[in-house]
Amino acid sequence: MNKSISSWSQRLYRQFSLMLANQPKLGYYLKPLLRWNNPQLHPDYHSARVIDFGWETEQILSVWLEPASSWSGFIPGQHLLVTLLHRGRYISRSFSISSSSAVFAQQKQIRISCRIQPEGQFTNALATAISGLTHLSISDAMGDFVFRPQSDSTPYQSTVMVAAGSGITPLWSMLSSVRCWTSPIVLFYCVKESRQAAFLTELKLLAAKQPLFRLQLIETAVSGRLDLVTELTTNADFSLSQAQYFLCGPAAMSRQYQHDLIQQGVPAAAIHTELFGLAPPGSAGPVKQALVLQQGRVNKLQATAGVSLLQLAEQQGLAPRFGCRIGVCYQCVCQKKSGQVLNLRTGQISGDGPEQIQLCISAAHSDLQIEL
Amino acid sequence: MKLTEQQLSELAAELDQVKANVMNQLGDKEARYIRRMLLTQRLSAISGRILMVLGFVTPWLWVFGVALLALAKILDNMEIGHNVLHGQYDWMNDPVLHSKRFEWDIACDAASWQRTHNFEHHTYTNIIGKDRDFGYGLLRLSNDFRWRLRNLWQLVTYLLLSTLFQWGVSYHELAGERVFFGKKKAGRVNTVNHSELKKAFFGKGARQLFKDYVFFPLIAGPMWLWVLAGNLLANLIRNLWTSTVIFCGHFTADVHTFTQAQCEGESRGHWYYRQILGSSNFTGPRWFHILTGHLSCQIEHHLFPDMPALHYLTVAPQVQAIAKKYGIAYNCGSFLRQYATVVARIIRYSFPGGKATTAYTLRT
Repeated sequence: MNKSISSWSQRLYRQFSLMLANQPKLGYYLKPLLRWNNPQLHPDYHSARVIDFGWETEQILSVWLEPASSWSGFIPGQHLLVTLLHRGRYISRSFSISSSSAVFAQQKQIRISCRIQPEGQFTNALATAISGLTHLSISDAMGDFVFRPQSDSTPYQSTVMVAAGSGITPLWSMLSSVRCWTSPIVLFYCVKESRQAAFLTELKLLAAKQPLFRLQLIETAVSGRLDLVTELTTNADFSLSQAQYFLCGPAAMSRQYQHDLIQQGVPAAAIHTELFGLAPPGSAGPVKQALVLQQGRVNKLQATAGVSLLQLAEQQGLAPRFGCRIGVCYQCVCQKKSGQVLNLRTGQISGDGPEQIQLCISAAHSDLQIEL
Repeated sequence: MKLTEQQLSELAAELDQVKANVMNQLGDKEARYIRRMLLTQRLSAISGRILMVLGFVTPWLWVFGVALLALAKILDNMEIGHNVLHGQYDWMNDPVLHSKRFEWDIACDAASWQRTHNFEHHTYTNIIGKDRDFGYGLLRLSNDFRWRLRNLWQLVTYLLLSTLFQWGVSYHELAGERVFFGKKKAGRVNTVNHSELKKAFFGKGARQLFKDYVFFPLIAGPMWLWVLAGNLLANLIRNLWTSTVIFCGHFTADVHTFTQAQCEGESRGHWYYRQILGSSNFTGPRWFHILTGHLSCQIEHHLFPDMPALHYLTVAPQVQAIAKKYGIAYNCGSFLRQYATVVARIIRYSFPGGKATTAYTLRT
């Protein structure tokens, strides 16, 4: 009953807003007016005040944010979409929160930490603009790469975390949020050299203070890649199948360790992964995969480089809306959620974040996710 | 003059370069411009509606209020709406300024407009039988059309269309699809079914009528009649203005038409060539261009419909030079002169005959 009243009032509000302002919500009409001097704020997201920023390492930038009261908080390990106004356009990228839930509870502040990629459009723009920024736009926190030691229904004897490079961010948020240590946690932290390791001082401090936490820093430039299974099985007391795993780093690394662990009989449900780093550049091969979401249905397309996505979608049985097919009329515009596309008319390669693309003149440049 | 395919492809390359020079530099300047436009539009709409109610202090406030509301509607429809719906600001990634989400203060549903205007009119510009914007199925504007008795009083039809322009635009797609009257034209592919067309037409129209003639008069209390009359007047001013601007862009004396055979499988160069010959520009001060939504540069708009319109004035001299180089007529004149030729054209083709306006092409 309550639900039908609320959906009814939502419909009424929508109709009212459409009538009065030709917008699905009045905010779209009023925000250009109210925020005229602060276009940095994206009308769909929460505003967050930039409190402070600093460099964790030469490459990893941390930004402290104070989200507006409309922002509903996070579970350690989750990420959010950060949106920045760069040269007139909103660009977005997702980042894991690297601060603890305690800091948010007490001071209403969160920290995001990002590795500045030499070719990353977003991260470079952020690094350049950060000293002059007063606000950023952030989405709700999302993702199920989360750690809840107390509320877990299937108790594991121990927890193994593997971080590579900036993959430490969600794991450090999890570790620094643990209030009551009941089972051991071991963290394998893989970096090229130790000077590239963010949060190392804090991690060492935690290891010294907390007997249940063990930190193992692996400098791949010195000791080579971590062989996770061998490393774990050298300890006779440790049982692989009694532990839960959190893997965070480049896709190839996560896949490898996941594969190794499953081979050793670890149940897949005990392995949590989060992919990090820039999407692999488009040169990986001529055929890309495009995931096309259409009203909740997922279609997989084999995308050939250089052929427009509209043509491919039609060849493979989908019927997206289209018009002129020459990039003029904007009928086929749709939302790209991730991945890069090549503009067939200008030869430009897009960014990796969410944005609108014209299907008739866009070809896949990497694996894609598109919503029709 | 006839251009060879080789010349047409050179023409395309030069125009593509003009476009690329602008598109590669889009950034803060354009974003600031359109946001400022949006702010001006919101401020004039709100203050206009308030001033109208204050008409009891002195009627001059009411007059000023009507002018501001008309200005808001014109900015919303032309410099903001028309251009945003073309996707000129899609690159900003802003939901308020995105072609797929934008809706405007006019009776016509935005999605319907995009199908008939962005797709039909801009793809098949001035191809007789394909571009229904050429005469809107009401006026005979070239001798490509057989003369009928009703053409005799088409000047009156034109004046009525101008007065009710927003409704003409709104009904345009339903007329083309023969939703209520007439036999469906063979070969016309409809992408949206009739019930959805009707729903969008009546839904949007009803919301607009309710807003201007029920909601705002009601909350104005004793001033309801003033507000109702003011809204009616503001809508009328907007209708006359948009109609006049659009007629001056496509129906001046020297605008050419094309046959379907001429354009079958045409090259990009030929498409550009057709856009130049199918449009006309007019001159005026800067504020005047803004009020037309830069459709005073109709030629540049038709060549580059997705280029942010504030750049049309800067690329116009380059386009004119290129047109001259290839011997393509570039139709430009003062607003009054262009409008006089529009009226003359409407009157001339009220009567049978009239000179042919079909452009020369390779296949003529």
